[in-house]
Amino acid sequence: MVEDEELMLKSLEFRLKKDGYQVFAAKDGVNALELIKEHQFDLIITDIMLPFVGGLEIVSKVKTDPATKNTPVIVLSAVGLENVVLEAFQLGADDFITKPFNLSELSIRVKKHVKQPTF
Amino acid sequence: MDSVHYIQELFTARLPFFPSNIRASLFIMLFCIIAFTELYLYIITRRLKQTWERAREAKYKEKITNMLAHIVLYDEDDVTDAVNHFVPRFKKLPLRDKAVRELLVKELLDYHANFTGKTAEILKGLYLGLKLDRAARRKIKSRYWETQVEGIREVTQMWIREDADLILKLTDDENSQLRMEAQTAFVKLSSDDPFRFLDRARERILEWHQLVLFEVITKTRNVQIPSFSKWLSSRNDSVVMLCLKLVKHYQQLDAIPDLIRLLMHPNLKIRSKTINILGILEAEMAEEDLFNMYFDQPVEIKTEIIKAMGRISSGNYLEFLKSRTQTDDFKIRMDAFRSIKLHGAEGRELLNNIYQVTTSQNKAIINHVLDERIKG
Amino acid sequence: MNSFFYFIEQFFNNAIFYYALFVMLSYVLLAFLSAVEMKSYLRKNSYVDYRQILVSPNAPSVSILAPAYNEEATIVDNVRSLLSLHYSNFEVIIINDGSKDKSLETLIQYYDLEIVDFALNEQIKTKPLKGVYKSKNPAYSKLTVVDKVNGGKSDALNLGINVSSKELILCIDVDCIVEQDAILRMVKPFMDESKRVIATGGVVRIANSCEVRDGRLIKVHLPDKIIPRFQVLEYIRAFLMGRMAWSRLNGLLLISGAMGLFDKEIVIKCGGYNHNTVGEDMELVVRMRRYMHEHDLPYRVVYIPDPLCWTESPSDLNILGRQRNRWTRGTIETLWSHKELFFNPRYGLLGLLSYPYWFFFEWLAPILEFLGLFIFITLALMGNINWEFSLILMSMVYLFAITLSTVAVLYEELSYQQYTSGRDLIKLLLIALIEPLLYHPLNVYWAIRGNIDIITGKKSWGTMTRTGFGAPKVKAA
Repeated sequence: MVEDEELMLKSLEFRLKKDGYQVFAAKDGVNALELIKEHQFDLIITDIMLPFVGGLEIVSKVKTDPATKNTPVIVLSAVGLENVVLEAFQLGADDFITKPFNLSELSIRVKKHVKQPTF
Repeated sequence: MDSVHYIQELFTARLPFFPSNIRASLFIMLFCIIAFTELYLYIITRRLKQTWERAREAKYKEKITNMLAHIVLYDEDDVTDAVNHFVPRFKKLPLRDKAVRELLVKELLDYHANFTGKTAEILKGLYLGLKLDRAARRKIKSRYWETQVEGIREVTQMWIREDADLILKLTDDENSQLRMEAQTAFVKLSSDDPFRFLDRARERILEWHQLVLFEVITKTRNVQIPSFSKWLSSRNDSVVMLCLKLVKHYQQLDAIPDLIRLLMHPNLKIRSKTINILGILEAEMAEEDLFNMYFDQPVEIKTEIIKAMGRISSGNYLEFLKSRTQTDDFKIRMDAFRSIKLHGAEGRELLNNIYQVTTSQNKAIINHVLDERIKG
Repeated sequence: MNSFFYFIEQFFNNAIFYYALFVMLSYVLLAFLSAVEMKSYLRKNSYVDYRQILVSPNAPSVSILAPAYNEEATIVDNVRSLLSLHYSNFEVIIINDGSKDKSLETLIQYYDLEIVDFALNEQIKTKPLKGVYKSKNPAYSKLTVVDKVNGGKSDALNLGINVSSKELILCIDVDCIVEQDAILRMVKPFMDESKRVIATGGVVRIANSCEVRDGRLIKVHLPDKIIPRFQVLEYIRAFLMGRMAWSRLNGLLLISGAMGLFDKEIVIKCGGYNHNTVGEDMELVVRMRRYMHEHDLPYRVVYIPDPLCWTESPSDLNILGRQRNRWTRGTIETLWSHKELFFNPRYGLLGLLSYPYWFFFEWLAPILEFLGLFIFITLALMGNINWEFSLILMSMVYLFAITLSTVAVLYEELSYQQYTSGRDLIKLLLIALIEPLLYHPLNVYWAIRGNIDIITGKKSWGTMTRTGFGAPKVKAA
């Protein structure tokens, strides 16, 4: 889970933990890439606008590295960045959610992408 | 002690005997010393106060974010239950303190902007439950436009439609910032006639305000979108510009006849935008008008016409486009080649034919146009 | 004989006094105008949601032009941070100005570049283009790398302008640390002024000793070394007090080469950057303004006080001296090549106020100071000095200088407050006390050297080829 707004990061972390997932939170792209290197994730959720390394670069790094290219990536973005979302899909992102979004929808999408939740 | 005495003498006993420039210098010195000391004291006390306030705020901020972050866990429950669960907890915060209240409002608004559905409803319920909307209404009635803007922002983010009428009054305000803020808010909140401000807008709507209005109009859900062609004959050029952008965004084909009328508009920007939109709407019926006006136009309009013919790509004006590839102007040639390329297989073939016989610079342009890696 | 010297001394004291009074009054006026402009800028923009520009399809398109000369060590990081700027409709054009190191190869390798068939529209004449490169990776589709024969910074920027396909051009130094929302903030004046905006300039801040990671600024500190610390104060004063006032008057003559956003159409119409001067940044603005006046087009040049661009400033006296020497030469060259403007009412405020200000304050002031010192020493050696009066005059000037600097620190405190630690603030205030005594004389000395170099023709007028644009380049005067 990569998101630079602290409140959002915290609340989505709570929410996903409630759904039974183990969550690693990163506040910026650099931190996220470090985490991705160290762990094998079942799903990556990332915001587009991030300090240091943008969300698009994370998608591109994840999808070009053979070790992680099968990890699904959901991109979070503000309304109106449709062209960016298009770019994210070109880079291999698996799904996108625009803010504002519905939490239940997020959790359904997460469930869809993570076949076996890791407890 | 001696030096103090010396300085004292300078400003008292000896003062009348100095030449006027030295006397003036002494006064300026005195003034500077006083100003300097006051500045120092002010800067330092301000800093100390600020540090103390920040520490306090940070403490409350952490508390508030922690409390708010838990709200997401309640989104499967009933909204009223959840609100009832949270309101008493938040009431324990010292909300009478303006700094704390503002902090909570800010966090609530930012947070609310991220969600739809139940989470958003719970947040709104919390906002109303804590009676924060009353404070917002007080802000809208403030004497200062900055405060008014803050209030308008709050009620708009929280979708408090009851306040639309209060805001309507401000859509004619003298202050352009406030006016714009009220107009955008009104578009969002008004359920019956959100665009009435366009009818009477006499002042120029700055490009920046157009941008903001465009964003709000196109990004707000459930806004009743009218046919914007009715404002294309407005005498206010900026209203025409804004509506052109909206016609384009909503692909309003019914505006094409009005657009063709605008081709004669004296304002170059409007003319060029109109041509651009006719192209995007693929208005084949405008092609003849575009062709007829072409030769009297300045270069920036000419390139727009050529681009529009490419977008329409009816094939009727391929020969014309081909002839344009022999003009002197580099931009016109490049746009002509681009437009030919947009004509599908027929265009490709024409490009190939031209390539065999044309100048080396035109060959380079054709290669450039065909290179998909170059955008723009 | 004695009465003759007495007369000279009287005259000298009066001249110093009235000159000082004139200068001080101008500064007070500028400080006041700055305060007005800062206040209105901050009020107007505190409610702006810059994300609206970010997502809007109606925002103007921007090309970032960054010339690079022998930057292989940092170029990859610099390009990455430029690509991650918050803006939707923009492209990054890196112009490799015939680097002798592996700048180009490094870029090609890291960003997976390949040469494309680019047809160049040579609107401004430049040294030959060697090739245009684009990335095979769609993640870097915004990047264009241009390789050319070495021709200096102005020539590189001009080629960048020819390659650019956008409406506005942001000319920056590739090694600057640019804040993420820099473009958003600099673009806004192009949309919210009733007159046509032809250029906006950004504030330049000093990055020495600041925490930087991956080409991004993490935390601001006051520089550890004293020379950059002096410059921090100097920059705050120049940008928050000087340029804001000139922005208010619409009389800005200089936009730092490190960060300026220009209307491409006008730049092309005036013929782009001039590569026969070392002060190409100032020269361009003057020429653009002149163009607008000569065509009777109403326009504005706007300044953005937000700290958007951070640069490493020279911490070595020799390098700093060379930089100041170059600024002086740039100023002289610009003033000389536009001498027709001097008190020419046809150019409105530009001719009647901005140009004379630069002439008297930026060019003449150091020379007068130097002459003053020279006469003072001569008189002193001949024993014809009223020491008390001279000391009073000097103390006045000193006290005024430190008060003015303190006001500048106050402006910074009231607006952006970049130096958050209390210790840094105290240091900044203390540096104001010694700046007029230590740093200012050095500046006068360098300015005089610049004048001498121009007169002796040592390193002027010729093209700047081969010198490249190594270390210092931001002008704060």
